[in-house]
Order: sequence, then structure tokens, then C-alpha cells
Amino acid sequence: MIPLGDHNGGRSSPDRADDGRSTRRSSGRALAVEELTVSVQREDGRHIAVDGVSFEVVAGSAFGLVGESGSGKSLTLRALISLLPPAASVEGGGVLLHGQRLPIAGRGARRARRGEMAMIFQDSLSALNPVQGIGSQIAEAPQRLLGLSRRRAWERALELLRLVGIPDPASTAHAYPHQISGGMRQRVAIAIALSTEPSVLLCDEPTTALDVTVQAQILDLLDDLRRRLDLAIVFVSHDLAVIRQLCDETAVMYTGRLVETGPSQAVLAEPTHPYTRGLLSAIVELGDPVGAPTPIPGSLPDIERLPSGCTFHPRCFLATAECASTVPELAAAAGAADNHRSACIHRDRLVHA
Amino acid sequence: MSAASEPVQAADLLAVEEITVRFASKRGELVAVEDASLALQRGETLGIVGESGCGKSTLARCIAGLLRPDSGRILLRGADVTRARSRSERRMVQIVFQDPYSSLNPRLSVRSTLRELLAVHGLARGAAAERRCRELMGLVGLPAGALDGYPNAFSGGQRQRIAVARALAVEPEVIVADEPTSALDVSVQATILALFEDLRSQLGLGIVMISHNLAAIRHLCDRIAVMYLGRIVEFGTRSEIFGDPRHPYTLALLAASPRIREETGGTRVRLSGEPPSPANRPSGCHFHPRCPRAEERCSIELPTLGVAAGSHALVACHFRDERRTR
Repeated sequence: MIPLGDHNGGRSSPDRADDGRSTRRSSGRALAVEELTVSVQREDGRHIAVDGVSFEVVAGSAFGLVGESGSGKSLTLRALISLLPPAASVEGGGVLLHGQRLPIAGRGARRARRGEMAMIFQDSLSALNPVQGIGSQIAEAPQRLLGLSRRRAWERALELLRLVGIPDPASTAHAYPHQISGGMRQRVAIAIALSTEPSVLLCDEPTTALDVTVQAQILDLLDDLRRRLDLAIVFVSHDLAVIRQLCDETAVMYTGRLVETGPSQAVLAEPTHPYTRGLLSAIVELGDPVGAPTPIPGSLPDIERLPSGCTFHPRCFLATAECASTVPELAAAAGAADNHRSACIHRDRLVHA
Repeated sequence: MSAASEPVQAADLLAVEEITVRFASKRGELVAVEDASLALQRGETLGIVGESGCGKSTLARCIAGLLRPDSGRILLRGADVTRARSRSERRMVQIVFQDPYSSLNPRLSVRSTLRELLAVHGLARGAAAERRCRELMGLVGLPAGALDGYPNAFSGGQRQRIAVARALAVEPEVIVADEPTSALDVSVQATILALFEDLRSQLGLGIVMISHNLAAIRHLCDRIAVMYLGRIVEFGTRSEIFGDPRHPYTLALLAASPRIREETGGTRVRLSGEPPSPANRPSGCHFHPRCPRAEERCSIELPTLGVAAGSHALVACHFRDERRTR
């Protein structure tokens, strides 16, 4: 059996032995994204949907990417793992895994990520094969990518089921996806994702379809796994509270750009971008005084008709004429920590405001 | 009929009396709602919360007249509408669904959607109908120009407003909203919640708000029913449910809701397992296999709703008198 804590064990496949990445997993920067830009083909031409997104994720930590629908958060995630839909393509930028630059598109891109990066999705039912038993779905990748024998791979599947908190793995392994509950299916999807001992786990709203009590369990599980397996997690969600619970760092996306990044606590408690602020005040929470929340005026612009300058300016309470002409860079506000940056020329006015 | 049994005081706008809904399923009978009772007054928002499979949407459909309960009664202003509803009784209760994308006809402009309704119900024609359409747009916070649009031209929040306008077109007294904000972006949810609050206060509508989002329910609802596997397990005012929850399930739901502004770390109540299928409900108190407070008795004896000591909330738990510290 392969001890899951031993990251270099079991990598006997010749395919991966000489790929130059066997010395990876030095703790530290597991994933670096540099100026990632993705365009999407629409009827009237190509439009930029992810615009120069950069961030880093340290091994053993979780990075939250939060935004509303159409903000580009899911496309960013898909570009990282080279699973973009046909209409989208990477226009530029780089992805580094443990310091190694990965090819950005094409067959080689998929191959370079295989086993190293894994992804879980919102809808675990459609992510699983309905006509294959759970155990053999988990055993498939270890057998093919890690070169384990059928028996070893099956044992590993059982081990993974135990790891993700499935009671009675031996019998659950013979079940089919439709026979288990939504929360259990998401656990199985996590087990499959972890089956090749990836160092980076990408999560696309994995708890959105779940009930709150089950969501809490899955978040606890992910939190536990990242510590135990030294996983770098990128967690995409529209739910700030979920992000806050799991992620050390948070980036807020708006119309394909990162508008604020930093330690989750700082971003969500003392936001220095008007959009982050607006989002926070638009959300009703259990602890808040009862009363109607304050919505952000206007609505999300479509990527085909993005406003000039700062794309948030038409909805922003701080906007000035300059905002319509200048694209603001990410920078720390006066008095804020260096790693807490926002893309707003009026950011200093939001500090302690 | 109800006349004899009705108390002297004015009848409730809406009363649901001990309704039970069963569905036939492959593995036998499924009890979706059991013995659920509630009442709604004018200008009141009543919340129903619970996880998937708890029966909240089935209950909503019964109230809206889309589903007939197997037993129990539904009364509108004292009139029994359980079996059949007259056209005016049907108009009295309207429902707004979660997904505004699939609940609007994509081939009809907003104006056609609304005018068809007004004509069918004999409410307005011609210039009067046009005036009413513009008025409805105003009520839901959309410009009159939106009448010319088709559903695909609108964002999710705008579509939900159109769905609300359609519900309002027939001058209902009760609106049942089944997860009206769940499919919307966070920044838009607030605007829709505010819309429902306006409708309640301005038009004096009675609103039944179904949601799994406890925070939204807390902000909007005067009284709240918590459901688990078909049964109402706790029913109380906002301050009772959120300030002094007595059912262990209510407490667990509150604890499981992640917060942005408040530290949730430390002693988190975590329920183990997931809600069992309503086709296969555990014996006794249906919650007992997941309940941290359960004793032997809970697996045998089904607790009925009763008033908890030191509270006015109705709680279906053998230990309802215990205060649960959060």
C-alpha cells in the first residue's frame, strides 16, 4: 500500500520518473499564475474574459477566487488545468508548477498536468461515470498513471475512500454513483482527484449544490486534506463565507480582472476595493442586524461591452472621471499590509472608512 | 365546510391544517409532507427552511394549489380550497419559482406574457391592460421599456422581477416564493429580497418564503418553520428560532451556515451523515440518527410539536425545554 503522506512513493511510472519534476514538492510556492489572459469567441468576435490574472499558491494552503457569474473565475480555473471549452483560448501568460513552466495549451499541456493537478466540480453526479463502479473509477488513474497493478490500485481506491471519510469503503467501492448521496458523491470525486497524489487541487464551487450541513462537512474535509497532504488548493466560489472559512488568501474577480487580493481576513474584513465592499454589504448574514441589505447599483456588464478604464466605474460610489480612462493596477492601500492589494485609484479612501 | 368549526375571529388569510402528501415511488411510498400546519396573515412573511428533501417545496406547491394533499385542509380566508379552487381563489395565491430562466416562456415578450394573463382573467384589455403592464413594471422596479423585451434579453435578477410581475398581475393576496434568490448572483440577491420586502409592506401581501438560506429567511420573515424529512420540527418567531433555537436540528443548521463577519471557529456543531431519503425515514424522531442529543426514546417515539418551556415556539423534540447554547 502506498502511504498517502509519502508524496514521492509509488511514482514508478517511467513516464513520470524522468519528467524533471520528481524533486518538486519542496514546500513553498506550488502554483504560480502569471498574467493569464483568456479570450472567448462570441458571435461578433473574440473578447477577453480573463485579463492578466496573476497569483501564487503555497503548498498546504488554500487560495480563494471569488466572483459573480461571468467574472471569469471558472475560466481561470479551467485554463490552469487546460480544460477550456472550445470557444475559449489562452491568449497569453504562464502557469508554473513548482517553478516549472507548463505548456499552456494543446496535447502537451494536458499531459504535463496529468496527475499533478486535479479538479473537482460543482456537479459531482455528471463528473462521475454512471455505469462504472465507484471503486474502479478511483482505481483507474493510479493504474494507468502510477503503474500500479489492478490489485494495488483497488487497495489504493479503498484507502482513498477511507481518506475522504466514506464509511465502509469495501462495500461502497462496489456501488454506482446514483446509489450514494450528493455529499458522498462529492467525496468520491475528491478521492478520484487525489488518486494520483496531485500537488494542486482545483475546486470549482464543489459545495454549491450541497445542503449546508453537508457543505460544512466537505469544507472540513478539504481543510483537513490540504494540511495532511500538503495540497495547494485553488477554490472558486461565489460564496464569500465559504471562501472565508477555507481559504488563507482570497482574490476577488470582476469582469475577468483581479480587483483585490490578500489575506482572506483582510480582504473580507477591511476591503480596499469598492466592489468587494459592495459585495459584502449586499450579503445578508445571520449575525447582522435585521434589515434589507444594500445592493450594488446596476448589473454586471457583459464582456462584449465592458466599460472603459476601471470596469466597475459605472456602478461605483467613488468613481471619478479618471476612473473611466485609467485601468487601475493592483497595489496596497496606504496603511494596508503589503500583500493586501486592490485595483482602485481611490483605494486609500477606503482604508478605515 | 369550515363555517361551523371556524373561531369567531376573522379567518387567517391562509391556513394549512395538518396536510400530508405522499408520493408513490419505486421503492414504495414516500412521505413528502406530514401533518404540516401553518397560518399566514396579511402583510406577513412566513419562512420555511430546511435541506433538500425536507418537503418545503412540496408544501409550497400545495399552498399554491399545484398539488393536492392526501389529507388535511388548506383554507383561504376561511374557505376550504383543498379539493378545488375557483378562478378567483386561484388568483389569490401565486407562486414564484427558483429558476427564472425556465419559468418564463422564451417566445413571449414581457408585454405578451402579462397581457395574456390580464385577458384570461378578465382583468384588463386594451389601453387599460397597457397601463396595468406599466404599473406592474414599476412595482417590480423595471423600466416600462422592458415590456418589449424577451426573457433571454434579461439578466437573472431582471427575469426574477418579471416572474414577480407576472405573479402580481392577477392581484394575488399571497405570494409563495420557492427559493427566489438561489439561482441569482450574490449582488443581485439583495435586490430581490428587498423587492419582496417592499411588496409585503406596500401591498400588504402575505408571503411564504421557501429557502435553504437561513440568513435570507432571518432578514425577511416574521415567523419561521424549520422542516426535516417532511415534518415541521420547529416553528417560532425570528427571535425564537435564531435567538433561542430548541430543536437540535435548528441549532445544527445555524451552526453549519458559514459566516463572513463572525468567527465560526472553535466549537462547531457538525452533523454527521446526510438527511436520509424521505422514502426511508428513520423510526421515532426522524432526526435521531444524526442528532447529538438523541436518546433511546428518540428512536421509538415520534415527538409532536409542543410549546417549549420559557418560549412560545413550537418544537417537535422530546427535549424541547432544554436551552441550547450556541
